[in-house]
Amino acid sequence: MSQVETMSESPAAPVTIGDVAVQQAPAAEAFDVRGRDVVFDVQDVTVSYDDDPAVSDVSMKIYKNLVTAIIGPSGCGKSTFIRCFNRMNDLIPSARVDGLIDYHGTDLYGSSVDPVEVRMRIGMVFQKPNPFPKSIYDNVAFGPRVLGMKDDLSGRVQRALEQAALWDEVKDRLKRNALSLSGGQQQRLCIARALAVEPEVILMDEPASSLDPIATTRIEDLMHGLKENYTIVIVTHNMQQAARVADMTAFFSVETAADGAARTGILVEYDSTKRIFTQPSDKRTEDYVTGRFG
Amino acid sequence: MRTGFQEELDRVEGLLQEEGALVLRSLRGAVNAVQENDHELSDEVIAFDDEVDRRYVQIEEGIQLLLARQTPVATDLRLVLAMLHINLHLERMADYCVTIAKLTKLAPEVDPNPRLLEGFEEMGSRAEEMIRVALDSFERRDLAGAESLVDLDELIDRANRRVVEQLLALGAEPELREYGLRMVLVSRALERIGDHAVDIGEQTAYLLTAEFREFTDASHPTPREA
Amino acid sequence: MKQIAFRGVLLLSLSVALVTLGTLLFTVFQDGWGQLDKTLITGVNSSDPHQAGARPAILATIEMGLLLLAFVVPIGVGTAIYLEEYANKERWYNRLLEINIMNLAAVPSIVYGILGLAFLVRGLGLGRVLLAGAMILTLLVLPTVVIASREALRAVPNSIRQGAYALGATRWQVVWRQVLPAALPGIATGSILALSRAIGETAPLIMIGALTYIAFDPTLLGPFTALPVQIYDWISQSDQDYTLRAAGGIIVLLGILLVLNRVAIFVRNRYQKRW
Repeated sequence: MSQVETMSESPAAPVTIGDVAVQQAPAAEAFDVRGRDVVFDVQDVTVSYDDDPAVSDVSMKIYKNLVTAIIGPSGCGKSTFIRCFNRMNDLIPSARVDGLIDYHGTDLYGSSVDPVEVRMRIGMVFQKPNPFPKSIYDNVAFGPRVLGMKDDLSGRVQRALEQAALWDEVKDRLKRNALSLSGGQQQRLCIARALAVEPEVILMDEPASSLDPIATTRIEDLMHGLKENYTIVIVTHNMQQAARVADMTAFFSVETAADGAARTGILVEYDSTKRIFTQPSDKRTEDYVTGRFG
Repeated sequence: MRTGFQEELDRVEGLLQEEGALVLRSLRGAVNAVQENDHELSDEVIAFDDEVDRRYVQIEEGIQLLLARQTPVATDLRLVLAMLHINLHLERMADYCVTIAKLTKLAPEVDPNPRLLEGFEEMGSRAEEMIRVALDSFERRDLAGAESLVDLDELIDRANRRVVEQLLALGAEPELREYGLRMVLVSRALERIGDHAVDIGEQTAYLLTAEFREFTDASHPTPREA
Repeated sequence: MKQIAFRGVLLLSLSVALVTLGTLLFTVFQDGWGQLDKTLITGVNSSDPHQAGARPAILATIEMGLLLLAFVVPIGVGTAIYLEEYANKERWYNRLLEINIMNLAAVPSIVYGILGLAFLVRGLGLGRVLLAGAMILTLLVLPTVVIASREALRAVPNSIRQGAYALGATRWQVVWRQVLPAALPGIATGSILALSRAIGETAPLIMIGALTYIAFDPTLLGPFTALPVQIYDWISQSDQDYTLRAAGGIIVLLGILLVLNRVAIFVRNRYQKRW
């Protein structure tokens, strides 16, 4: 049938108009959490300082090789919560963590778990860049050195700096003091520092909030690339940033107790970023993301 | 910079061009079906519309996500809005192709008038050309190309008028009258496809100039031959 | 008007200090400048004031200074590290420790002398030796070094510690590899200033038996003297020429102190961190 042949793209195959290999466009959300590995399984976790709960009864799963953002108003315990994942709360004597954080089948706070090992696998980048007052090389090499990863140290340093998109800018001045770098560069140095010990997870506590917009975009682009090999959890007070970079978003809010005295952070909604920003299930989430909060 | 964002924009634009290619095939199938009175082909065209609809939904979702997640501004915003509108126009075009196919099936068996068939072929070709020009000038961000669609639309309008004249002269028998009625609607559908192509050109112009502007307006006709 | 009056008061206060200091220095230099000859520095004490030298005293002072540094830095810095980095500040015994150290810094130096006499010279049976002198001086300036070191450690921003912990360092690694190196300039400055104070101490050394007439070079476990003691002795002599000699000695002592202070300032400026 001649008209069929004129319609088909590949004349060799006798096809109808509807049969032609129409390329299935890749879905916008190329992930489906149902099939994903779970890195952290958080169950009813409460963190208190001196018996005052800062964040209460949080349950959620963090999935592998995704960027998970934690957003919410100030005081909702976002930073406190994220510090549970690498046991940095241990450093605060008055802090107590109740509940279970399961990391690949192990209780993160189990009695036999060494916090040093935890931090080796779960790295952290802080809000204000905090490079050590040493050379750029020594900054990145510090982690491997203290953890006994002495082999191919220079190679490790280079790879880490490459992954942090900083290598080209500093490769000729590795011996210079890290404090001579700009703010954005220092933050990327801190990321490289964390990457050098080859963690599985990278926690970022408002990593771009002290940086200018261009440096911020650099960091966001970096996250986009890093999530291929790492699992990233980021706390941010900038909603648009969460919308741009995160695959999954968790919205925390502040809950005031009935007597008006105690305020604690709670998890309100946790879903794909797509849902949170197009059709959130909870009105509180909707109010927050549309800016009609309070 | 913002590689994720750019990838997503490119992906949606790619889908749009794909949708355009599908519309072209649908149109060619519909026009051929009319000319050869091929009811099987008409059925295929009708079924094929699902492909276009699928793209349409994907593009809509993609644009919704772009707006929600990337807060585009300036050129990016105009691009997203242009794509939103172009998506709609392409989908309407595909619907018109379905209309033509349905009309082909409904029309009674009649000895085809060669000049009539020529007229449909001409309109179909013009419409195809307009779709290609519209999609090309969008892809290449070509303002002159977009604006040239107005002239092409004039050609399709003239062809439409010629076809209508011939249909009016068909005859008084009931079968012929029904055939004429159906074919007038086919002609109109083809002409409307041309109009949507012009609309796509207007979106390209908006993208490039940031002006919301109709190329021509019925109430302010440019002086042309009647 | 008030501005000018206020400035005037400030200048007046300043001038009091300057005038006093100036007068002191002037008289010392007036008397002592002429005394600066080779014998003063290379010779030993003598019954002839014009031949009196302070070599044993200078050597002893320098030796005690070095011993002091060797003792006080590890103990002082170690204590400071314990208090700042390891101790749980809520515990009562740590707070007690802290208060005690603060108080010890204010104790008059003669008390240290008595302490040394009782426990080191007699109790431990060391005798009236250089080592004992060094140990006394250590105890004397230890609180100051602890306090200065604590300040230096505190000045290291917590973000550095957090960053190091987050990479998987143990507390010891954090302290040894990050905090201490960063605090080193401050610790060095504090130690040098403590040293300068110790060098000028006289009373405790006399208490534990520093001699005033020594004709041989000091040894670790032998009798000793020190520059301030020597100066004190010369001034106490009835012969006026000895007084002039003392002025020379004072200039030498001031010279040593000046050099030490210069080093301290140099270290501070060179390695000062801008956080």
